[in-house]
Amino acid sequence: MDERMHILADLKLVAKALEHNEYVVIKQLSNTIIDHVTAHQDPDLLSVAVIVYALSKLIEREQYKDEKNWKKFYVSYCGTIASMISSLEKNDDKGFRKAIAANRSLIVGLGGKLHYYISDVITRARMNKASQLYEKGISMEKTANALGISLWELSEYMGPRSEDKDNLYISLPLSKRIALAKEVFG
Amino acid sequence: MGERMKQLIFDAGPLINFSMNGLLFVLEELKKNCNVEFLITKEVKEEVIDRPLTIRRFELEALRMQELFKKKVIQLAAISASEVQELRKLRNEFMDVANRSYIAKHKAVHLLDKGEAAALALCVIMKKKTGNEIPLVIDERTARMLVENPTHLGKILEKKFHGTIDIHLKDLRIFEGFKIIRSTELVYIAHKKKLTGISGPKALEALLYGLRFKGASISDEEIEAYKGMK
Repeated sequence: MDERMHILADLKLVAKALEHNEYVVIKQLSNTIIDHVTAHQDPDLLSVAVIVYALSKLIEREQYKDEKNWKKFYVSYCGTIASMISSLEKNDDKGFRKAIAANRSLIVGLGGKLHYYISDVITRARMNKASQLYEKGISMEKTANALGISLWELSEYMGPRSEDKDNLYISLPLSKRIALAKEVFG
Repeated sequence: MGERMKQLIFDAGPLINFSMNGLLFVLEELKKNCNVEFLITKEVKEEVIDRPLTIRRFELEALRMQELFKKKVIQLAAISASEVQELRKLRNEFMDVANRSYIAKHKAVHLLDKGEAAALALCVIMKKKTGNEIPLVIDERTARMLVENPTHLGKILEKKFHGTIDIHLKDLRIFEGFKIIRSTELVYIAHKKKLTGISGPKALEALLYGLRFKGASISDEEIEAYKGMK
């Protein structure tokens, strides 16, 4: 199945999960989307993964739901996801991109605390997806560029990784690598 | 006649890592004590100075890095216009080969970007220019695996992608022969030379974990091995 068709199926499941505020399901679906887009890192589809993950966090957290404009923002956010679904159903790439752009621009109109909260959620969502992409074996720089973040931000987000436990990435004995360094530094 | 000036080429990752761990002064100390030049590409300069200067959160780090650049602790490799052209050509070739040689589910996996590819290309250019094989400092595990064990990288990708990966190994020979070290080796050397400003039984471990938590790919086993070294 084409990547976009996978994403369409995933977005339909997101829409269904939204009916019951199932944020855990939505979060899992954002992971599934990353699985589908890792190879090529299509920027549009990566944006969808970020949007879906951020949505799960928006539902999960309570702190900003009393803020002015929250409801309007949330309805518009879900509306852009509905637009993505209908565009993908019609193979309308232009409409799909427009819906993604519309989602991004929603935050521009927000003010005060809500702007701060939502920006934070989206930044963290981007980092979460970057971390997932990096875990798949994509280089840090490629990952950072694909998600539109700097290498500095990605480095800051690096934590313990399971691969460090199982020696997955040892490709030269340590003694040989040190010998290389000693050639330079004596 | 004096001892030949040694050189090292840096990818962006290790410089960012040093900066985030407050260890940039170690580079200065190593340069001063070991007669060595630290070379970077234009792409790396963009990533470690120009771009973070535009991000408030990293502006301070960028300014510190800029100071290092002004003091010529890190410097752009002195290459001619024609060598710049050659570097670009090689950079694109490295990216092209890396990004089409691992096929997962009928799709090429995009693995490398231009900064890492340019750093590899600079190694080739400098070897032609000086006759010396200059090691590359790169913390990035994917680029390192491409150079040192591309077959194993394929196996890792199979595990990550939960499926078969077809590898065009013949094309990947383009990555053979590079010498790679990580920020962790530099810090180990600096620690042994007492240039890190900290000492005591936990110093080396703390330095290595600090680097690992900011992107250096080093395993638990390697850290333990380092700690056991005299």
